[in-house]
Amino acid sequence: MSILRSIAGGLRSLFRKEQVSKELNEELNGFLEMAAEEKMKEGMSRKGALRAVRLERGNLEIAKEVVRSAGWESVVEALWQDLRFAARMLRKSPGFTAVAVLTLALGIGANTAIFSVVNSLLLRPLPVSSPNEVASLVSQTRGGGSSNGFSHPDFDDIRSQTTSVFRDLTGIQPFHMDGFSMNGQSQPIWMSYVTTNFFQVMGVQPALGTFFEPSNGRIDGSDSVLVLSYSFWKTHLGGDPNIVGRSVSINGCAVTIIGVSEKGFGGVVPIAETQGYLPVGMATATLDSPKGFLADRRVENIEIIGRLKPGVKIGQVQSALAVVARRLSDRYPDIHRWDWLQAFPGGPLNADPSGTAVIESMAAFFLVLVGLVLVLACMNVANLLLVRAATRGREMAVRAALGASRGRIARQLLTESVLLAGLGCAGGIALGVAASRSINSINFATAIPLVFNVGFDWRVFAYGLGAALLTGVLVGLTPAVRAARGNLNSLLHESPRTGTVRLQRGRSVLVVAELSGSLMLLIVAGLFVRSLRSVERSDLGFDPNHVVNLTVSATEAGYDESRANQFLKQLLQQANSLPGVESASLAGTIPMGYYNHGDDLNIDGYRTPRGQERPRAGYNVVSPGYFRTMRIPLIRGRSFLDSDDQTSQYVAVVNEEMARMYWPNQVPIGRHFTTANDPAHSIKVVGIAKNSRTQNLTGPLRPYFYRPFAQHYLVPVTLQVRTALPPTAAFRQAIELIHSLSPAMPVFDAQTMTQALDTLNGLLLYQVGAVLTASLGVLGLVLGLVGVYGVVSYAASQRTHEIGIRMALGADPSSVLRMILRQGLVVTAVGVAVGALLAGAIGRLARSFLSGVSATDPLTYLCASALLAAVVLTACYIPARRATRVDPTVALRYE
Amino acid sequence: MTDKPSDLVQGTLDMLILKTLALEPMHGYGIAVRLEQMSRRVFCLNAGSLFVAFQRLQRDGLIRSEWKATENSRRAKYYVLTEQGRKRLNSETKEWGRQVAAIARILETS
Repeated sequence: MSILRSIAGGLRSLFRKEQVSKELNEELNGFLEMAAEEKMKEGMSRKGALRAVRLERGNLEIAKEVVRSAGWESVVEALWQDLRFAARMLRKSPGFTAVAVLTLALGIGANTAIFSVVNSLLLRPLPVSSPNEVASLVSQTRGGGSSNGFSHPDFDDIRSQTTSVFRDLTGIQPFHMDGFSMNGQSQPIWMSYVTTNFFQVMGVQPALGTFFEPSNGRIDGSDSVLVLSYSFWKTHLGGDPNIVGRSVSINGCAVTIIGVSEKGFGGVVPIAETQGYLPVGMATATLDSPKGFLADRRVENIEIIGRLKPGVKIGQVQSALAVVARRLSDRYPDIHRWDWLQAFPGGPLNADPSGTAVIESMAAFFLVLVGLVLVLACMNVANLLLVRAATRGREMAVRAALGASRGRIARQLLTESVLLAGLGCAGGIALGVAASRSINSINFATAIPLVFNVGFDWRVFAYGLGAALLTGVLVGLTPAVRAARGNLNSLLHESPRTGTVRLQRGRSVLVVAELSGSLMLLIVAGLFVRSLRSVERSDLGFDPNHVVNLTVSATEAGYDESRANQFLKQLLQQANSLPGVESASLAGTIPMGYYNHGDDLNIDGYRTPRGQERPRAGYNVVSPGYFRTMRIPLIRGRSFLDSDDQTSQYVAVVNEEMARMYWPNQVPIGRHFTTANDPAHSIKVVGIAKNSRTQNLTGPLRPYFYRPFAQHYLVPVTLQVRTALPPTAAFRQAIELIHSLSPAMPVFDAQTMTQALDTLNGLLLYQVGAVLTASLGVLGLVLGLVGVYGVVSYAASQRTHEIGIRMALGADPSSVLRMILRQGLVVTAVGVAVGALLAGAIGRLARSFLSGVSATDPLTYLCASALLAAVVLTACYIPARRATRVDPTVALRYE
Repeated sequence: MTDKPSDLVQGTLDMLILKTLALEPMHGYGIAVRLEQMSRRVFCLNAGSLFVAFQRLQRDGLIRSEWKATENSRRAKYYVLTEQGRKRLNSETKEWGRQVAAIARILETS
């Protein structure tokens, strides 16, 4: 109550100041009059009485001040006064204000933009209810890696044995591109395959229809019911209100839409939007998941997400999971050799068991870089403020002499710098939001519906505001402390010129720091750009130029296997005879694509050495012309023939790496192996292909093999055409051909092979890294330039008087020029040296993101240093040149 | 020492003002005079501290104010003790009695 009353009283004094002050006046005057009357009754004169009262009771004017400053509102009032004064001061020097605000806005804007990206990738919780109760499971195999893949029987066991700590667990195969067809129209759709309690566990409500029944999804291929995401329903199906109950197909398998999930729920895979959900048992019908995997403890293709019971600590969860891990490992010793089983807060990505935490370390690295940019911006503004403080020394002295306390003056200066930072913050957040919008709208040339959701939320706002306030205080502190400590007498007597000499050294240190920061940013940018160049030029093992890809899905057109094969055969024949076409072929996947096939292998005559994983290789399914189209040379043996079909011996071409790993020092041709998915068919090796990059541009080569399309039917397939035509003509030609053979055939992902390399598995991260670091490098260079230019030109202008004397005494312009340039040169040299040393440290952090270039690449260091030195010396030359044009007579009179 | 007015013990001014107002509503000067009379001129109150105290007590809801005419038909702001103020006065008086007794005991033992 009394706090409310105090606030009300304070507000009344603030907003009805006149009234309150009048009342106080009247009351105090009354007091004075009454006291005086009393004295006059005792026989004093009125004048004497008034004087006596003042002596006894204190000066009433002072009493008024005391009463006024007793409430909290007086602090607000003083702050408001300070702010108004600060605004007036800033308005008076618009040039200074503009440069300072712009500099800060750039620094804060870059921070806000980068932070909002990090926020959307890492910090923003899953879009589910009470996201802090959600955790994902990871197992660690004894002597092996960790994994977040579990089998469906494991899921059931873990779920039934951890009811004390988890409210429930749900299983998910997170992300798969399937074909979606409705009314003869087809399009790709990104699907999650989930256990039926998925939406309940995530706490997501249907926007339309219902979700899965608990009985769904326990039997292979039954329960053909589909849930769509809200945004897929809105953007791809026009928000049709009668969508529930419609029959559509996923990868050619008929399913019924039963519901649409809540608005804003884009699934549990960060960055990407999950567009549809099927019960996990459907994976055998729509995907090539092995039949019976729901009961097979060996097929570990489900990730597990749990929702903790309220109040349960993560430590309790870990001990409960440890018990389950031991129990399952004891019970199934040949399958599970788990060291531990743990829950990590967040969705499946947060529990990424690969342990590399690439995204985290990259995010940290970029936050450091962008923090450096902000520091540079701060130093620039601090520099400007110091110069201003020097010229305002006398103003401060006069204010102090008139009775302003030192604290009050310091507070005033701090208010000014915080106001500057506030303006910079507003500009910066606006810039940052604009920049992150543009990140959102970047076309990543991918089929994946990327949702960066880089946007403004309270975290971004708090970060920007925090950065701005910190900036304001840091930047304003030095001048404020200086003003508070200053000696009144000497300040009043010194001229602005002599006063600044003391500051000169401090500012040189600032400039050195700035230059070294700029150089660090430039060097990092150089390293990333060179790394991108090196990856782009790296030996792919195939030739991506002049190849176009078009993906077709025959099942979406309603074809069964034999009809599809007939269509594809015709397509290949006619494509090969199109004008300009050198060769055309089919492939199940393309290099650096978003998905890859891989399988565990049983290799005749190969024993897995102790402590190693069982043999596994990636594979592609291709038509005979594939190696010609991709220009992958065969080292031994033969390519596929038209005679390699369903009725003949199953064959494969393996890459050099697979030959080396599984048939060391032998000729693998003629040897056999089987895949875990299809143990019935023995596959004979008929050829060895040169290694090529399939899933990663850098890092180790992996074992890989190719199988003929005729022996391993799959959808969708990609038609690849090596052609002399320009891409647009090639696409038109190919699409016309496809539609002439089958008018309803859906075509997705028409891309050139070089475009297709710009994916997350391919060049995308390197490109993003290079663009980001280059932008920060340019920003750093500009800030460094502004800083050095400001200091040198200010120093030169302060020395006008001295230069005038020198020239009057006979110094020639070139020696004056040298004198001023020397100062810039020394500062630059020191800055470059310090920067290069520091860049060595930051380069170590960057090492894991670089490829094909060492973190201490001398060429990069040299070029960046030369660029910085050249730019900075140009910046010094302009004011130095101006100084030599000084007319001695003018300079001598100048004060 | 004795001819010069003493300073008040820290924090007791509020209690004394409440005590004064417990008899009847009073304006600022009246309160000052009454306090001085009751203390037999031991205390002389500075206008500044007096009016700050009024503002504070008013914001705490222990007193409220109204403009009225004085006996000399001058307009003055009268302060009135509220119910809450009366309670506070009672509790503070008790507390003060306890403390004074305790202090006296300590001083006598030495």
